[in-house]
Amino acid sequence: MTTDRAIIETAGLTKVFGANGNAVHALRGIDLTVARGEFVALVGPSGSGKSTLMAIIGCLDSPTAGTYAIDGVPVQGLSGAALARIRNEKIGFVFQSYNLLPKASVLRNVELPLLYAGISRKERRRRALELLEKVGIPEKANVLPAQLSGGQRQRTAIARALANTPALLLADEPTGALDSKTGEEVLALFQELNRQGNTVVLVTHDPHIASLAQRKVELRDGLVVDPEQKAA
Amino acid sequence: MFSGAFRERLFGAWVEIRENLGRSTLQTLGVILGVASVLGGFSISDSQRKRSDERWVKLGGMDRLNVQPSGAIKDNQPTALQNANLGLRHEDAEEGNALDTQVTSGVSQQKNARARVRSAYADQDRQITGIAGDYMALNGYAIERGRTLTAEDFENGRPVAILGAEAASTFFPTGEIVGQTIRLGDIPVTVVGTFSEKVFRFRENQKNQFWWRNRVIAVPSTLVARRMNGDKWQRVDRVVFRIRDLNVMEKFGDGLSSLLLGNHRQQEDFRIDDIAARIRKRRSQGDVYNVIFMLSGILSLIGGGMVNVNIQMATLKERVREVGVKMAIGASGREIFKGFMIEALLLTGFGAAAGLVGGVLFSKTITSFLQIPLFMQPASFLWAFALAAGFGFLFALYPAWKASRLSPMEALRYE
Repeated sequence: MTTDRAIIETAGLTKVFGANGNAVHALRGIDLTVARGEFVALVGPSGSGKSTLMAIIGCLDSPTAGTYAIDGVPVQGLSGAALARIRNEKIGFVFQSYNLLPKASVLRNVELPLLYAGISRKERRRRALELLEKVGIPEKANVLPAQLSGGQRQRTAIARALANTPALLLADEPTGALDSKTGEEVLALFQELNRQGNTVVLVTHDPHIASLAQRKVELRDGLVVDPEQKAA
Repeated sequence: MFSGAFRERLFGAWVEIRENLGRSTLQTLGVILGVASVLGGFSISDSQRKRSDERWVKLGGMDRLNVQPSGAIKDNQPTALQNANLGLRHEDAEEGNALDTQVTSGVSQQKNARARVRSAYADQDRQITGIAGDYMALNGYAIERGRTLTAEDFENGRPVAILGAEAASTFFPTGEIVGQTIRLGDIPVTVVGTFSEKVFRFRENQKNQFWWRNRVIAVPSTLVARRMNGDKWQRVDRVVFRIRDLNVMEKFGDGLSSLLLGNHRQQEDFRIDDIAARIRKRRSQGDVYNVIFMLSGILSLIGGGMVNVNIQMATLKERVREVGVKMAIGASGREIFKGFMIEALLLTGFGAAAGLVGGVLFSKTITSFLQIPLFMQPASFLWAFALAAGFGFLFALYPAWKASRLSPMEALRYE
């Protein structure tokens, strides 16, 4: 593993929704590089294209034009199954609304990415328990998400995101649904994870949260406006 | 598979079913009805057939191959060859029996005569049945009093007789029968035993279908041949083979036919009557009912399957987000497909199991109403289950395919 390889590397990323007359240009050529171990905040008002960019970075969507490589792997033209594999192995998602499976226990939620990765049952259990320990809710392993507080749910989601030790932790407004105190705790957890070497990209519209990141990338009208980006 | 992924999927599917019990029950309804209808239909028609087969067995048995002499002369004058023929003989029976001892489990011969039968109480014109071989066993006669005929009786053509129940009470209405003398024509014959009464009724209070069997006056065939109605060729009036396995009856019949043709100078002066063939023919007519039952089962499975597709498509809408989440954390379309398939098949399995129980209850109710004993074949269960599984699989494909084709982005954003 090279430590200096960029985790995210995009060039001329363009995304157009619709066609011809009513085409919407969500991204107009994004050149973004995020190095390993960085904590980047992706900010911008709604409609700036940050969600679209996040979707493409997360391999949930593909760009109309431009190139993107994650952890050195170019994703253009990859099949749906290959993209699923990249999402599984290289990316850990944390969503604003947690997106836990309501009918599965906390433990099973955390185990799920490991299951898709083909990890054995015993190992899955061991890793999932270890991760719950790491995010500070080991005692909640066997309860359903509905029985958890918002902060605990987000911690579960973070544990799930970390399951396959991804190259990139991608968080979309992770504190948006939490009260400020719990939000601070979750952010502290992200900072801690970053200190441990995880690369974090956090999408937010909150300047305060953005200020916690090492670097701020601001989007406006589908373009990066922060000059810092070039320095990185 | 080594990671236990299948077990996890199964568990996930089970959780999904358990959490949505009402909907799941609704989804299995079509399967239950279909399976119950196929199994019930098959079993009721099987029971009916089995019942009628049993009647055949009681009336004379299916496992028989009857051989009787018949006129070789179709029209005009008989040819010299036809005249020279000897008819059905003792050897035919012996050789036929030796044809394949694995196949035959008994052969009976019959040589009839008519005679004036006289005792101290009655005087009637009766048929005398000269018997040989396994006649008693094949016709289900059991000794009630006295003894059976011995090898010596047969060998020496001894003047001894066993009377059927009706004959016994006609010729000896009172007193001891065994040891009495009865005259068959001019021959005084000692009664050595009597047969138990043979009774068979289709329904209670009906006439005894076997009344004529109780009229029997059985003597050694050698007695008939030597002293009443015989000839030096030992011709017999009827030979019956009992066949162990109904499936080889036709083959045995063919072999027997060529043997007899050979013995009879290629003249077909005999008739082989395969009772099983008659029953098979009758059975194949009954197959029509099975097809109808199967069709109605299939229709119900198709109806249930379409309801299932609708419900699955509706629930898919509720579960789009879940699919999106799973895809985001690394589930491939194939994984999603498998998940939905397993869920649908598990439901089908539960429905089929319930349907089998339903089918058994249904058949029990109907057969007890018809007053016939219930007879169910493993094949009926297999058919019902296989049809349910097949249609369950087919109808699960579309929703599962639809789910697997969702775009992860759109699925995640779905509200």
